Order: sequence, then structure tokens, then C-alpha cells
Amino acid sequence: MIRIGGEAWQVMRAHAEAIFPNECCGAMLGRNDGETKHVTVALPLENVHAGPRVTRYELRPEDLLRAEKEARGRGMDLIGIFHSHPNHDAYFSETDLKNSCPWYSFVVLSVKDGQFDHAKSFLPNMEQTEAPEEALDLPG
Amino acid sequence: MPKVMIPTPLRQYTDKKDSVEVAGATVGEILGALTATYPDLKKNLYNDEGKLRSFVNVYVNDEDIRYLGKDKAQVAATDTVTIVPSIAGGR
Ligand SMILES: [Zn+2]
Repeated sequence: MIRIGGEAWQVMRAHAEAIFPNECCGAMLGRNDGETKHVTVALPLENVHAGPRVTRYELRPEDLLRAEKEARGRGMDLIGIFHSHPNHDAYFSETDLKNSCPWYSFVVLSVKDGQFDHAKSFLPNMEQTEAPEEALDLPG
Repeated sequence: MPKVMIPTPLRQYTDKKDSVEVAGATVGEILGALTATYPDLKKNLYNDEGKLRSFVNVYVNDEDIRYLGKDKAQVAATDTVTIVPSIAGGR
């Protein structure tokens, strides 16, 4: 299960709403105690997809590297990646799956008419063929 | 010896080490030696055909090995090899 702390969640939600109607993306930092992943820091990252960003996102590897270093500097782990689905539900699409990485939790935020609606977390497998849902615990 | 930086989620396969020094002159040699030492790392980096998985990017210092000859990219003793995932998506 993945539990997102209040401060990190505020950052994720605000970022998803600010970037609407485009898809936003970012990194989640924290600690994994083996049972629960505790996210305490969210880092908004630039969506560098070359085409329309209403339906697609892409992270710059250099930005992921920077997120890794930031995590290391704080004695944390890079635990997951978040992105938004503007005016669509929080599901893990075929495109999400084909461009995923099994090392991380993937949190999808559904934003409707500029307002956060709901979120889900997914755990893609190594072969990028399926991504079962992961229990997601959001603040209050 | 060249140093390989390990992404945080993969450190469970490298005895919790965040970097590992590995002997070798090319990326292929270095990743080969690294995954021989830590076999559990191998399936995370390579598919069944022995190719790097599509979500795995490898850098020598700040250069993507795709532009340096891939597996044959030269690595000097003072270089740092970094494993970075590639991530994208869309609804
Ligand atoms: Zn998506």
C-alpha cells in the first residue's frame, strides 16, 4: 500500500489542477518500510512530451536523475511517479502501461473541469502487460 | 574502477548499496559483471533475449549510451555509469 502525506498530496493536487487541461507529471519521494510506502515529498516535473500534452506526458530522464539525487540527499527513496488525466477517470491506460517502469508506484489523478476528482495507484509488471491496482491512502 | 549508480528501488538487490564499483572498459562489460555479482538485478535490467529492457536508460557521466555505441560505449576508470528509467504515458 502507498500512503501519501498531507504536504506531498497538496503539492500533487495543486500541480494537477494548475497544469489542467494538460497532463501533469512528477515524482514522489519517501520511505518504504517493506509494508507501506510513505510518500512525504512530491516534486512536480516538466511534461516534455513533444506533441499535444492534453493526452500525453513524458518525463525527461535528466529530471528523474535529479529526483533520484534529491531523494538520496534527503535519505529517502524515489517511490513513485504521478500524472493526471484531465477530464478522464484515473485508470492505467495502454499508453501508460507501454511506457511504464515496474520499479515504481504510478499514481493517476483524475482532474475534471480543473478540479481534482479522484486518484488511484498502479503497479505495472516487468513485461508491461498488466498493472494491478495498489491500495492508496490519501490524507483526510 | 568505474562506479555504477543504482536507482533507489533496485538497491534491495545490491545489498542496499547506492553505488557499486565494477571493473570493465565498456558498458556491456560493466553491466555484465554487475549483474553477475547481483543476479536479482539482471531480470530488472534485461529481458529474456538478453536485451536491455525498453524502460532502462544508461548514462556514462551525462551522456546517454544510445549516442555512445550502446553496449560498446567506452568507460574510463574515473567514469560514472548511471541507470535511469524512461517513463511516459497518456490516457
Ligand atoms: Zn495516464
